[in-house]
Amino acid sequence: MSGPREGRLARGWRLLGGDPLCAAGAVMLVLLVLAGAFGPLLPIGDPIKIGAGPRLSPPSLALPLGTDELGRSHLPRLVGGILETFLLSGAAVLLTGVIGVFIGILAAYLRGATDGIIARFADLLFAFPPIILGLLVVSLAGPGTLAVITVITAATLPLFIRAVRSVALGVAAREFVTAAEVAGASPLRIMAVHLLPNIAGAAIVQLTYALSIGMLIESGLSFLGLGSQPPNPSLGSLLQLGATYMSIAPWLVFPAGIVLALAILSVNLVGDGLRDALDPIEGRRLT
Amino acid sequence: MSALVLARDLVVDYETPRGVVRALDGASFELPPGRSLGLVGESGSGKSTLGMAVGRLLPANARRAGGDLEVNGSSVFALDDDGIRALRRDLLGFVFQSPMAALDPTMRIGRQIAFACGEQAAAGRVPELLRLVGLPERAAHAFAHELSGGMAQRAVIAMAIARGPRLLVADEPTAALDTSLRAQILDLLVALKNESGAALVLLSHELPVVARICDDIGVMYGGRVVEFGDSASIFARPLHPYSKALLATAQENARPDERLAPIPGMPPVLSGPCIGCSFAPRCALAEERCRSERPSLRPIAGRLAACHHAEAMSAGRSRKARTGS
Repeated sequence: MSGPREGRLARGWRLLGGDPLCAAGAVMLVLLVLAGAFGPLLPIGDPIKIGAGPRLSPPSLALPLGTDELGRSHLPRLVGGILETFLLSGAAVLLTGVIGVFIGILAAYLRGATDGIIARFADLLFAFPPIILGLLVVSLAGPGTLAVITVITAATLPLFIRAVRSVALGVAAREFVTAAEVAGASPLRIMAVHLLPNIAGAAIVQLTYALSIGMLIESGLSFLGLGSQPPNPSLGSLLQLGATYMSIAPWLVFPAGIVLALAILSVNLVGDGLRDALDPIEGRRLT
Repeated sequence: MSALVLARDLVVDYETPRGVVRALDGASFELPPGRSLGLVGESGSGKSTLGMAVGRLLPANARRAGGDLEVNGSSVFALDDDGIRALRRDLLGFVFQSPMAALDPTMRIGRQIAFACGEQAAAGRVPELLRLVGLPERAAHAFAHELSGGMAQRAVIAMAIARGPRLLVADEPTAALDTSLRAQILDLLVALKNESGAALVLLSHELPVVARICDDIGVMYGGRVVEFGDSASIFARPLHPYSKALLATAQENARPDERLAPIPGMPPVLSGPCIGCSFAPRCALAEERCRSERPSLRPIAGRLAACHHAEAMSAGRSRKARTGS
């Protein structure tokens, strides 16, 4: 049992200390987010200025990661790409979280026809592979930010709804929900006050997995030219460019590839750590 | 005075993947306001189903197949959603078997009790309720996992009485507790009941415990109430063979080294109405009539009993009593 006066921050810090992989993931994730958020403010050059140096020049002191086929400095483009990828997948996953938690709890608590309709809807969404879904959305709405967010949300929502629903089903069957019903609580209050806090941990863990899927989808769509549009960089479009010039300018493909791999790895490590910390059986050993 | 709770031949089925299971097979009882009733029976006798039916809190796969259950004059099965919510809120208080499961692990005790009080009453009543159930005021700031089982059950009781219910239903409230705490919790329930004038339905498998604290006893077997009457007379002179066997199994009556008498056989799992007496396969007195004709619950010697031999048993006892004097 934890001490009553121990702060949440302190407890979180101790959990991280008990799980070095999760701590490493968290540090990596924070560094990447900081780079994406504050990198563009540093004096590293303009990401979209054409002819900042010679075309396809190798890394040098003035241009630390070299230049691309239009002579744009690659470092500011990489930093901008990190921001773009995190921002788009993060926004989409937040959207997934809000919609999914609401729908999942609704299905689990109301059961019956509502549950059936929601489950079939989730199955329907699940039946589309993300890239096919991407092509469909892009052909309807045109390529760009909005399309990317829509596709990521649509791709991560069905899994997330299922996860929330199954956890909420277990919570809804417990006696404190019956006790609240006896006290005359309205269904809305039971869902908001009892179900939501009890599924929050599981939902956060699922959201970290959704975030890594979201990053992959964002990069995939941008790689195909369906995501963020030029001149804005994204990790996916940088990868595509790097792949095109790999034989003559191999320095272009590696930074974006490594950063994307590290981003997904760190998100998954943090997710695993959170899952272990929040799991009632495993977590007890740590606290 | 009309009854607060009136169950008439209530039949409840559970639809399971392996077919229908009949949990209640024509259960009847009556509870006047302010009185306490102990429903006694083995696991599977239907007492929990009957207790939960009072608040229409049955699982989703339960179906009422017959009979009715009225609380405060209105059938709980006929009420719409708002009606049943109002009835639960204003009239009922439930105390559950496992206090840890009945408390939300993510919410502090004080906030849960405040929720049970309802919006308008709010936090002002919480310290008073904690004092009533014998909890220190600082318990309001604790989470459920920081309380001991006994304290948690006191918190659940505080939630149950928060709105001044007219009926408390306690489903084996001491089953998950240490033996040393059981008497405390039961005495607390009875004290609160007497103070507030609420009626109490106590579900238990221990006949002597129930006889000690309840005015009336309903002995349940096979989804029916097989004997119903005031505690003292049932405890002293059970008429139904099952009540008698239940008393004989009670440890309180045992002397050291005496072997406790188990009831042979298993309680029935019904899939439809029982044709004869459901206790017949385990009953020493059973004869052909017991297996083919269902005994009705009828008044005998100032109480109700559902046994073909109840009259003879009652008469036999009184004749013996006369010759003895």
